[in-house]
Amino acid sequence: MTQFIFFSGKGGVGKTSMACTHAVRYADEGKRTLIVTTDPASNLADVFEQEIGHQVTPIAGVPNLSAMEIDPDKATQEYIDRAMAPIRAAFPLQIVQVMEEQMSGPCTAEVAAFDRFTDFLDVPSDNGFAFDIVIFDTAPTGHTIRLLELPAEWSESIDAASAGSGQTCLGPAAAIQDAKHKYERALAAMRQSDQTRFVFVLHPEAISIKETRRAIDELSKLEIKNFNLIVNGIIPPEGARNLLFAARAEMQARYLEQIDREFAFSQQRMTLLADEIKGAGKLRRVGKIFFDGEPASKLEDAARVPLQNAAFASSLDDVRARLSPNGHRRTVFFAGKGGVGKTVASCVTAVWLACQGHKTLLLTTDPAAHLGDVLDTPVGDEVTALRGQPNLWAVNIDPKAAAETYKTRILDDARQRGRPESAIKVMEEELNSPCTEEMAAFDKFIEYASQEEWDSVIFDTAPTGHTLRLLELPVDWSKQIDVKVFASVDGTAADDVAKERFGKVIEMMSDPEQSTFAFVMYPESTPILEAWRAAQELGTVGVHPGLVVANMVIPPEQTTTPFVQSRRIMQEKYLGEIGERFGVPLVQIPLLPREVKGLKMLTELGEQIYGAEKVVA
Amino acid sequence: MSNVIPVLNTLPTSVVPADVEFFDPPMCCPTGLCGPALDQTLLDVNEMILALQRDNLRVERYQMAGNPNAFLCNAEVMKLVREKQMEALPIIVVNGKIIKSGVYPSLDEVRAALNGAK
Repeated sequence: MTQFIFFSGKGGVGKTSMACTHAVRYADEGKRTLIVTTDPASNLADVFEQEIGHQVTPIAGVPNLSAMEIDPDKATQEYIDRAMAPIRAAFPLQIVQVMEEQMSGPCTAEVAAFDRFTDFLDVPSDNGFAFDIVIFDTAPTGHTIRLLELPAEWSESIDAASAGSGQTCLGPAAAIQDAKHKYERALAAMRQSDQTRFVFVLHPEAISIKETRRAIDELSKLEIKNFNLIVNGIIPPEGARNLLFAARAEMQARYLEQIDREFAFSQQRMTLLADEIKGAGKLRRVGKIFFDGEPASKLEDAARVPLQNAAFASSLDDVRARLSPNGHRRTVFFAGKGGVGKTVASCVTAVWLACQGHKTLLLTTDPAAHLGDVLDTPVGDEVTALRGQPNLWAVNIDPKAAAETYKTRILDDARQRGRPESAIKVMEEELNSPCTEEMAAFDKFIEYASQEEWDSVIFDTAPTGHTLRLLELPVDWSKQIDVKVFASVDGTAADDVAKERFGKVIEMMSDPEQSTFAFVMYPESTPILEAWRAAQELGTVGVHPGLVVANMVIPPEQTTTPFVQSRRIMQEKYLGEIGERFGVPLVQIPLLPREVKGLKMLTELGEQIYGAEKVVA
Repeated sequence: MSNVIPVLNTLPTSVVPADVEFFDPPMCCPTGLCGPALDQTLLDVNEMILALQRDNLRVERYQMAGNPNAFLCNAEVMKLVREKQMEALPIIVVNGKIIKSGVYPSLDEVRAALNGAK
């Protein structure tokens, strides 16, 4: 029986490294192993230092190991091609174009990506599958949950559809009847404790623990039971011979205790290494540390590049010019993979702007949001003034809650128009589709983005892949409206309103005078590549980076031990690379002795990063 | 992996056409709820279909993405689609005869056509 292992965890915790370490180890033990990533911002190719792509690819230097990157865009295209083939052959061009445009909507992308994902779980048990172990390097937490939640939601919506109108958002019920069994088998396999294991990779930090808890709770609701933990990034004794790292090691010790107390699952620990994990050779050596308990210190190749301790920072004026409202409102989007510090970056920036006297709104659409943790005050789904900080308001858009509100609004409207209960029931079925959440969250996003009363709007956006889809939506939608030639008068009027609204948002996002996209990353290879890919993808919708933020930068004065020096040297190489690649002003957030929490700390940090004096516009 | 969406290779469920057939323009879902703006017309159509079903009539709705064969198997429908393209849609067929093209009929119009054909 094929074994399935899912690696889950917030982006940046070393999930891919640990998944690859396991994959190499199993393959070396002679097990036929496949590692699959469903992450829209996959970095499998970076870790194995070879091209992988959208097909099962043997890994050089590791017999028995293959890898595959499920590219959501390609999966969507394949799905569209499959559905469009008979239409392209028989229908006139105009209709083919309209159909293709319609199929480029967000529903199709979700269906297609999930469809490919289940291909690997849906193993015919009788005819001997080619792999002993399939490892999934899943997407960051929030997205993963949505992906895994889909089977349950879909089975429901498919059942409802067969009983009702015979159709759902996903297409004719008959067409997905076959897929339904596939999805049910996939979920059944995920629930088999002797077949499937979920490994959560986390850091010994408050937010990481909280997200792991949340992810495990969500999965438990789907009757998934087999969980393991890997606590990664533990500062070794030789690392703690430095004040900053010693303080962080102490902080880690407290969180390790908390993890022991709170999680009853089997747990393994992994040391923070002085350099990065790349290439099969390195993965084997990491395996020796992780599986065989060899000391990490033996592993380090003492870095032979001299420390520069160069500042790397850009001029404050350049940075501020891209954050401050300049006679008109400015919206700053913090983009980047989950866990790289978008929330901290956006909170620091929002507090600084508020201190500068700008009326500032801070908001998130991230299902794994933790604005409240960083601000150290609860943030709800209504815009609320922050106590203790004049000029600052915050709101947390929960996609699930937004979907409920959206549903209620539409159904109430339908009742008011005197539509019969039977029709309301059909509408309700369709509103239960997985797309509603995404659409509703987006609807809210536009609502706030169009409010005129703010000087500054700061978006703590969702993790990269999710963000991209969310931000690309307006463009997709206005295209879709453009070709919607069949609308009735009533519908056309509604479309005009919607189109104008989307048009304004698109214009705002692609105008550097009104919007700044700030990409947050660690000064490490993989996060930079991911941010770069994300930036390129946004470039296709006319949005370009205005700022880059490097988080957890070791202050030059802290390089007092070889361990810290080695990490700083690694960071310097990448700080240089960030500057070269993006060519926009760079902001650095220093590695701090403790987690960022509370307005006082945010205010101080903001002054340290952006300066304390008032900027005169 | 050469997965084929099964419905694309199947003919309409029965050889005898339904009493009322709707050949819809491309859309995300039949109520229009999935689109960026609500289309009240589509909700009206939905109600009309429910009303016809209550009269024990057999009603089918076809979308090009899911049921291309339904279009292809009806020569009259395809002729209209080829001539007028998008403007031809929706096409409504009652007892095998096209009664409306380019716009949805009212429930009364459909009922009249049903009676007239008898």
